Amino acid sequence: MPRNDSRLTSGVAVVTGAGAGLGRALSVELTRRGVTVAGFGRGEEGLRETADLAGDKFMPLPVDVSDFAAVEAGFAKVAKDLGDPVLLINNAAVYPRRDFLDETADSFMATVAVNLGGAVACSRAALSGMVQTGFGRIVNISTFADLHPIPASAAYSVSKGAARIFTRALLADLGDRFPDIVINDWMPGMLATKMGIPDGLDPAQAAIWGAEMALWHDRSLSGAVFEMDREIPPPRGMKGRIRDALMLRRPVARRL
Amino acid sequence: MTLDDALARHWDAIVIGTGIGGGMAGRRLAERGLNVLLLELGPAGYRAEETALDPDIFDPVARRVRGFWPTPMQARVDGRDSRFFGPVGGGVGGSSVFYAATLERPEPHDLDDSAEKTHPTGGWPVSFVQMQPYFDQAEDLFHVAGGQDPLSPVPSPRLRVPFPISKVDSAIQSRLRANGLHPYPLHMALRRVEGCKDCLGFKCPKRCKMDGRSAGVEPALETGRASLIDRCAVRRLIAENGRVTGVQAERDGRVVTFAADTVVLAAGAFGSPRLLLASQQGGLANGSGMVGRNLMFHLNEMVAVWPGRSVAGGAGKALGFRDLYHVAGDRLGMVQAMGIDVSYGEIVHYLNQLLERSPLRRIGLLKQLTRIPALAAAKVFGNAKVFVGLVEDLPYAENRVLLDPGDPDAIRFEYRIRDELLTRRRRFRRLIRKAFRGYRKMFLGFQPDLNFGHPCGTLRFGTDPETSVLDADCRAHELENLYVTDASVFPTSMGVNPSLTIAANALRVADRIADQFERKPDATQ
Repeated sequence: MPRNDSRLTSGVAVVTGAGAGLGRALSVELTRRGVTVAGFGRGEEGLRETADLAGDKFMPLPVDVSDFAAVEAGFAKVAKDLGDPVLLINNAAVYPRRDFLDETADSFMATVAVNLGGAVACSRAALSGMVQTGFGRIVNISTFADLHPIPASAAYSVSKGAARIFTRALLADLGDRFPDIVINDWMPGMLATKMGIPDGLDPAQAAIWGAEMALWHDRSLSGAVFEMDREIPPPRGMKGRIRDALMLRRPVARRL
Repeated sequence: MTLDDALARHWDAIVIGTGIGGGMAGRRLAERGLNVLLLELGPAGYRAEETALDPDIFDPVARRVRGFWPTPMQARVDGRDSRFFGPVGGGVGGSSVFYAATLERPEPHDLDDSAEKTHPTGGWPVSFVQMQPYFDQAEDLFHVAGGQDPLSPVPSPRLRVPFPISKVDSAIQSRLRANGLHPYPLHMALRRVEGCKDCLGFKCPKRCKMDGRSAGVEPALETGRASLIDRCAVRRLIAENGRVTGVQAERDGRVVTFAADTVVLAAGAFGSPRLLLASQQGGLANGSGMVGRNLMFHLNEMVAVWPGRSVAGGAGKALGFRDLYHVAGDRLGMVQAMGIDVSYGEIVHYLNQLLERSPLRRIGLLKQLTRIPALAAAKVFGNAKVFVGLVEDLPYAENRVLLDPGDPDAIRFEYRIRDELLTRRRRFRRLIRKAFRGYRKMFLGFQPDLNFGHPCGTLRFGTDPETSVLDADCRAHELENLYVTDASVFPTSMGVNPSLTIAANALRVADRIADQFERKPDATQ
């Protein structure tokens, strides 16, 4: 169960939404651990600030993840300049607080294009290289917002929920064929970022867990859900609980 | 190479199918200087894949992508119809990318007729001695490692040194010897490169397990004289004046015709006869009426053996023995370790498969119930090792491959289990029980278990055009440039896994083709 897997720490990572908040903190933490990070972001200024904090191992790339052609060009540039990425953190997201009656179909789908479309486009591009070697790591920054959507969060909840389904669907297609491309969801918790809440968690703290998560390469992590620093075991029905009881098994939640 | 590039050329040889038969024929032809086009129904896939054959994946697109045969087999066994996903591959490398890489030689009596061991068909048209150099070559090209069979009169000089066996296997070996048997390290086509994952049952990402892809297609392509078109369904062979003049195929909805001097058919014992049956009314090259007939499998006799708690260690696919291969006039077969840990999931799957083929299959709930005995079994089986004995199946014309008028790629067959096979099976089981005496053991399954991964016989070769489809060179009696190099050609199913014989025969046939090609004056470029 290699943590800080050397194939990842010595490789190239793509972090989306790297110009602010958690994406910036993750970029800093990953570069601190030796990873070469290509940071995608929409604002050049934000990316520049991240670069100042992260140092030489950070390559800023102005890419809007909802612009699929730009994503493709971005990955092509990463591959050319740094090599095929072995790690992708789908972090870029938007959370426009908006009542559904204030949405248009277009404004709603623009949110979906970032939160779901960005993860789809970046995963597809990153996998092109990963399936050649059969090795890789994808972490989707996730949330429980889909379980009980709160008011003024429709587009966010729907798109982030769909992104969680996307993780499982990716594994349905790839898990048995490429067991060493490890894919899972990580929920960082409520952060003190622009998207989060004022008295939330320091993103630098969350990024330590996030980096730990991302650099942990183990086949059994595929499909696992982690919240902050611990694993959320999958919900089990009656049958599963009986089976565990019969086998004298107790699911153990892993820690980051 | 693009489809249009392939169409623009006239090929020395087209090979249809890229399993062991097609892969090895393609490799030998290309290495002998011929320009070869390999056509494969399924996808080339990604080299890094580690996919295991999974009958629970049922979507045809998902199955095709993984290199599984996309659709269920349609079997009529003893008059009862069933549909299930058989252990059949459908991508580059064919079924062999999923196989357990056991490359065992047949015995002389598998091919030859003799006074002591009469052969059911009077013998193969090629003798064991004639095949021997090709067994040697195939063992070499597949990097086969293993021990000499102490009972064999013929040594296998090219075998590589077997890998050390575990403590538990070594204890079993001693016990079997004490029981008067002659176990030896199984012949395995694994190179065991660094990071070897023992890819038995799933695709090897490393070119370590030697199969139709790693020992056939890839070396063929590396010569620079072979090209591969995947996802290409050959629908029809066009023949005129005793020659195949065109290979009609479909790719991405486009119907095309390839041309070549020689056509090598290696679509497997289900696929090759199907293509001939689909090529013309009554079947192409079918004057004998034998196209698709004489379908044979093996019977699997699986037995779980508990080595006891005193010796720990994982299950290795390490040992085999041939003491029960031919007993007092009965053709039985060899016994070998399966090299699997009997886990919960495998037992559930296994029980469900048994259920699928039994009259109880209509009671859907039972499928869930098997999970409970499986749970108990998981506890009991814990450290059991599973051995499998193969019982030779004999050729009967009524057992045959059929066309499905609605789907040209469907695997459909009818098969009847003969009483004589059941009699031999009973005898085999008695002998196996005796062979493992001193161990706690249990047969896995009660009904005869046909190994649908070992089909053969459906385009048998022989000297008489009245009773065989192919001649001694595996060339169609009726078509001067059509050869077959898969297990379809087998007149009998032998008492061992078919892979080595498929490979050896493909090399032999490819040599014949290349010899003739060299004799042509214009073929020297």
